[in-house]
Amino acid sequence: MTTREFTILTDVSMITCVVQRNKADMVVQAAQDAGAQGATIYYGYGSGVRERLGILGLAIDVEKEIITTLVADDQVDRIFERMYFAGEMDVPGAGIIYITKLDKAATYIPQDVIDRVAERQESAPGSNIDIGSLP
Amino acid sequence: MTHQISFGEFSRELNVHLDQISYNEMIPEPEYDAQDQELPHRPQALVVGTGDVYRLLQPYLSIRFFDQFKAVMPLAVYLVLFQIFILRQSVDDAVVIAAGLGAVIVGLMLFMEGLKVGLMPFGEALGISLPAKARLAVVLLVVFLLGIGVTFAEPAIGALQTAGSLVNVAKAPYLYSLLNEWAGSLVLVVGVGVGLASALGTLRFIYGWSLKPLIFATLAPVLSLTFYMSMDEELSKILGLAFDCGAVTTGPVTVPLVLSLGIGIAHAAGKAGSSLSGFGIVTLASLFPIAGVMLLALFVASQQTPEMIIAAAQQLQAVNADLPWYESTPGVEIVGGIRAIVPLVLFLLFVMIVLLREKIAHPRIIFFGIVLCVLGMIVFNLGLSYGLSKLGGQSGSLVPGAFTQIDTVKDSPLYYLLAGIFIALGFAWLLGFGATLAEPALNALGITVENLTNGSFKKQTLMYAVSLGVAFGISMGVAKIVFDIPISYLLVPGYVLALILTVASSEEFVNIAWDSAGVTTGPVTVPLVLAMGLGFGNALDAVEGFGILSMASIGPIVAVLTTGLYIRWKIARRYASDEINLESAKGLAK
Repeated sequence: MTTREFTILTDVSMITCVVQRNKADMVVQAAQDAGAQGATIYYGYGSGVRERLGILGLAIDVEKEIITTLVADDQVDRIFERMYFAGEMDVPGAGIIYITKLDKAATYIPQDVIDRVAERQESAPGSNIDIGSLP
Repeated sequence: MTHQISFGEFSRELNVHLDQISYNEMIPEPEYDAQDQELPHRPQALVVGTGDVYRLLQPYLSIRFFDQFKAVMPLAVYLVLFQIFILRQSVDDAVVIAAGLGAVIVGLMLFMEGLKVGLMPFGEALGISLPAKARLAVVLLVVFLLGIGVTFAEPAIGALQTAGSLVNVAKAPYLYSLLNEWAGSLVLVVGVGVGLASALGTLRFIYGWSLKPLIFATLAPVLSLTFYMSMDEELSKILGLAFDCGAVTTGPVTVPLVLSLGIGIAHAAGKAGSSLSGFGIVTLASLFPIAGVMLLALFVASQQTPEMIIAAAQQLQAVNADLPWYESTPGVEIVGGIRAIVPLVLFLLFVMIVLLREKIAHPRIIFFGIVLCVLGMIVFNLGLSYGLSKLGGQSGSLVPGAFTQIDTVKDSPLYYLLAGIFIALGFAWLLGFGATLAEPALNALGITVENLTNGSFKKQTLMYAVSLGVAFGISMGVAKIVFDIPISYLLVPGYVLALILTVASSEEFVNIAWDSAGVTTGPVTVPLVLAMGLGFGNALDAVEGFGILSMASIGPIVAVLTTGLYIRWKIARRYASDEINLESAKGLAK
């Protein structure tokens, strides 16, 4: 029988943001400044507004960077907004950003967070048992 | 009673300027034709306001502008500062030169973007579909003709023509004739050289030939021709130009276009296994034109005597006063820009449509790219005449004032003879070192090389080796003009040394070293160094000021080969010492 602990995180949302090549770092920085824990970037290419802009479309890179970051529900709107403005998504062709509500997530959780949640549970049994609200 | 709301919802409510609309608002109504079949949706062109256009274009333009700005400005600033502080001369026509440099930056920016948008898609499409649809002989013919076309489109080639006007006909008649009357043939011969090199390089891709024998086979006739021509007093003045032409050819148009085609062909032949297959074409493309120019010079010499050329030139100068519009600026630049790009485009179109029967994707965008290319070429050529060549020529003509008496510099010589010569050589050394280290192509090559050699040849090592090679090469080229050393005395030993090192080196380092010479001579360095050399030569009353670029090509070859040998020796020694340690450890264990 295993003695390893398995704690699940709830109240998680995923923000996905598609930006032009070489723009992702700026957006990730904005997300982290607003409290996001981390981000994953991968590469792709896409079409859309670029094709409808005619010659102006040349100013938009076909190659894209896709950022995904998992954030707590309490901070999702704040980070969403920060990323939107950092990526200048209000410029035509700059990209798109969207939120997906996630069911569960699991990763490394610092011991002090687990302790704190356990303490709160003892003092107020029956209350919220998840630890979605990281500091 | 207590009422609980989530903090997330609370902050969502606090967000001002937040508006929600349904995505359904953005989707189009399906359209049907007469038979009630749904028509495929074609989105309408988007009309954006001026504010959005600005926000779209501003980052796009500023990145591309500063890319070129970084390539041009440090060199120009260095020249100007040197002129003001060391030579204590003000810059003549500062406004014209500044405008010219601006034109160079803008021209290069337009040209490079046009190249990416308008010409590169052709190169890639050709590389993929040509080998599949045509026989090897046809492929090689296309590659050969493409080599000629890209040479005409190379921005730096215009610098040769500009340089031609600076040559003194009485001192070097054949040189004058080659650069003026025969200028078109000169570029053509260089192009044929590049074309042959591309065809041979493609064969090398397919059959996986080693580069070493090709280098030997090419250099043997080149060096013997050099030897033969250095015997003749008149012909020996051509040698500097011939070797410089090799350095001019491998620029931002030739390398990517020819390489993309070559690599495509190698892939189609299923022989792209070798990690070094991309190398070699650049080397051959800088050696073949040398032989071509020397042969052209021999041909010219068989047609005309020096006296005939001098007489013709003097006659021309008398008529010179009234040039037609297409032979005076800016007409000559406009004609030159169109003549450089349009034939290449027509040739590519011909191959695509007639030979391959392929449709051109996005014709409007491609057309726009080609227009950008031509426009960029014209603006660059204007900047070349008024900015780079002028500045380089001016610095070159003033630097000798450091150690000798010349009319243009007051109180010259400014320094004692030895100190002055040292300053002049140091000026050239720093110029070469800085310009090469800043070259973006070298950085890219450094990364490739580090990957290919599994990190044993560090990027920094390569960059410094090449830069030092160029720095010493340029200094030696300047020394050649100062002391009036025949160029063959420097080039022949240089190439012989390179050959010896080549025999001793492994195939990888040979590939890297001989190609590294090609990347160092970009569209900014070439005109600047050419003009500087010619101005320098004129100020010193030397016969001709060519040869600096060729020294800048052989320098890095020797430097990188030596570094390669050193690295191999170091690795071997480490293995040896590891084995000794192992032996002694075993001995202790017993």
